[in-house]
Amino acid sequence: MHLASVRVAFSEGVLELLNSMDALAIATQHLTRRFGQLVAVDDVDLRVTPGQFFGFLGPNGAGKSTTIKMLTGLLAPSAGRIEILGLDLAQNPVEVKRQIGVVPEGMALFGRLTGAEYLNFAARMYGLDRETAAKRTAELLEFMGLADQSRTLITDYSHGMQKKLALAAAVIHGPKILFLDEPFEGVDAIASGTLKAMLQRMIARGATIFLTSHVLEIVERLCSHVGIIHRGKLVAQGSLEELRAGVQAHRSPDSPNAPAGETLTLEEIFLRIVGGSRITDQELSWLG
Amino acid sequence: MAWLNSQSESALTRGQFAAIAELRWRIFHNSLRTLHGRLELVSRLVAGIGYSIFGIGGAIGVGIAAWYVVSHDALEWLALPFWLVFLYWQLFPVLATAFTENFDPATFLRFPLGYHSYFLLRLIYGALDPTTFVAFFWLAGLALGIGAASPRALLWALFVLAAFAAFNIALSRAIFSWIERWLASRRSREILGVLFFLLILGAQFISPLTTYYAHHYSRLHADPALTVATHFVGVAEFFPPGLAAIALERPLQGNFAPGLGSFALLCLYTLAFLAVLNVRLLAQYRGENLSEAVAPAIARKGKQGVQTSWHLSGFSGPVAAVFEKEFRYLSRNGPMILPLLMPLVVLMILRFSFANARHGSDFLARHVDFAFPIGVAYALLILSNLSYNCFGTEGVGVQFYYMSPVRFRDVLVAKNLAQGLVLALEIVLVWIAVAVLFEPPSAGMTVATFVGAIFGSLVSFGVGNLMSLYSPKKIDWAAFGRQRASGITALVVLGAQAATFGLAAIAGGVAAYFHQIWPATVLLLFFVAAALHLYLYELSRLDSFALSRQESLIAEICRTT
Repeated sequence: MHLASVRVAFSEGVLELLNSMDALAIATQHLTRRFGQLVAVDDVDLRVTPGQFFGFLGPNGAGKSTTIKMLTGLLAPSAGRIEILGLDLAQNPVEVKRQIGVVPEGMALFGRLTGAEYLNFAARMYGLDRETAAKRTAELLEFMGLADQSRTLITDYSHGMQKKLALAAAVIHGPKILFLDEPFEGVDAIASGTLKAMLQRMIARGATIFLTSHVLEIVERLCSHVGIIHRGKLVAQGSLEELRAGVQAHRSPDSPNAPAGETLTLEEIFLRIVGGSRITDQELSWLG
Repeated sequence: MAWLNSQSESALTRGQFAAIAELRWRIFHNSLRTLHGRLELVSRLVAGIGYSIFGIGGAIGVGIAAWYVVSHDALEWLALPFWLVFLYWQLFPVLATAFTENFDPATFLRFPLGYHSYFLLRLIYGALDPTTFVAFFWLAGLALGIGAASPRALLWALFVLAAFAAFNIALSRAIFSWIERWLASRRSREILGVLFFLLILGAQFISPLTTYYAHHYSRLHADPALTVATHFVGVAEFFPPGLAAIALERPLQGNFAPGLGSFALLCLYTLAFLAVLNVRLLAQYRGENLSEAVAPAIARKGKQGVQTSWHLSGFSGPVAAVFEKEFRYLSRNGPMILPLLMPLVVLMILRFSFANARHGSDFLARHVDFAFPIGVAYALLILSNLSYNCFGTEGVGVQFYYMSPVRFRDVLVAKNLAQGLVLALEIVLVWIAVAVLFEPPSAGMTVATFVGAIFGSLVSFGVGNLMSLYSPKKIDWAAFGRQRASGITALVVLGAQAATFGLAAIAGGVAAYFHQIWPATVLLLFFVAAALHLYLYELSRLDSFALSRQESLIAEICRTT
């Protein structure tokens, strides 16, 4: 699979979006981040329209977390521009942050606050008044099934409870865009169900969700659009159908798998784009 | 075959030790790539010079004492330098953690490290701290002193001193490893924090109580110090410092057998503490997990109500939120809150000295009005714990400040407000304590001290905000005897405090010159105006400072290893 050709295949849709920059929820231009000699994110042009459930995929070390950190103001880009809801992030960091919610990789929880105190704190930090903060805190704790643990210190919460609380804190101000970095990592099926329910409600109300995950089945089930980053470069973006069509259209004649007309899963699409199915011929005879 | 196995095992062990040594060297070498790493090296070099002076000076002192005791046949006093070394070796690491290397050998347990290697590694790491470095200097001084006074005793002295050193290393490692075990869970950490505070508190009273009872004894005995020392030596000879002294003293008196017996007992003590250490290290080696245990999710019946957050008149919601968070954190952290009581303890100690010196020449007996500024100065010193590394306890939560639509200036203003309120409460408590223990401070001294406290706190906030951003250090409450501020911060704090108290002393000098307090108050007001100007200027730049330090701050405070 030639990455450049896949990219060209999606460019028509992207061009359409480029012409309507104002309508974009997330837009980046030449977004680049270097760590010394390493280019972690290389000239990325992302386009996410309002209301999309956008899955951002990539192999380990591809630049997903670096990108999400830059989009949420946790990391400064080395070059390029980020626009969130039409606002330049570098110029209007406070205004942008007012309109987004973030669940970062480490969840950003204060372990020595109780669940209720943390949600109250988050609400006040997003500018909500005390009464609204308390009301929404109670509602969110109830929704997340944490109401009977509201006075337990966060450090004593299980991992799943912490994930739910982090999501509750990220949505307490009713953000227009929600960024989630690996929200389902280490979460059991019950907690995962609660998280999904919350996300689907947000989408139903017109919010935009930008999510990174290694669990491709979840992304396939939840997301309407997908972007794939590989070695720092955005190698594909579009709806699942667009990606599928792009991959099938550019399937090389010697491709062993997937006969024409077969519906490719997201995992297959992903592996073909990033070349993940490559297995070397080395024997590694010393292995057990 | 078994011989071959043991050969290959020892080769593996040698290889592992070499790899660990190289790892430490690489970590050190790579740390020099950053400016912060280079500054840390400078701070360690400065501290190293201090430790060297301390070590060499102490060695000379201890050596001369040992030489005098041996050459003047006053061998019953030989235990004193041993007790000095012992107390220093065991207590100093607890009190001075700013320049202690943070490295946990337990991180190597994921490799095929043999238990004996792990045990040895723990002992070696224990022996590589500045305290041991200084203590070895002192023991060398002791050996030289004894050797100079009695060359034929030198070889035996070296044996005894080596055993004494081994005992101290074993004891300190055993204490540290067991305390870390108890610190691992939050509740036992709180309990231990209180006990530790009480221990420190008790130690503060040793000197005034000794003075008090010495006065009391002086009415009954001709030489009270000698009486107390005789009682002490009688009991202390059963403890390792006393045993080490007897192991040297008796052979010098021609009785080798009792000396050998004491030496054997000292070695037994060492073995006993190694066994205690072994229990702990074996548990670690077998995979004990001491991380913060997740409580079982036992739901309390029914919903728990949600209270509204705090309101801070005149300040925005985010400032009030961070302010509330700071107080909640403080109220749930014994090790942070207990030191705040120290100014009152100091005043009580001074009260003891004051009572003992009624008939003497104690400073406070002549200038009782200075009790209030002394208490407040101590409160300012304690404040530095909160202000100079104010993100140290945030953990991953520190990311929230960067994610939320709040200016960093507001976050630090809220933190400074919380610290200021703590200081204000301390000042009120100190005033009441001075009024009860001594006499109410005069109005002039009260006003001057209050103005001085505002000056001191502005300096503390200003420098503290910068150091918190530029030289942060993650604070791990579950680790014992580790750094709670970077080496650079420790040096800057010393400098800032020296400058603050120096300027306050100038104000005091002005008051003494005019024989009136108000000129000092005026001068201090001038300092306050200058400090306030600088503080406000710093606030206006804090957002850009915070942005420029964003990555390194998050990386340090959120790090997991």
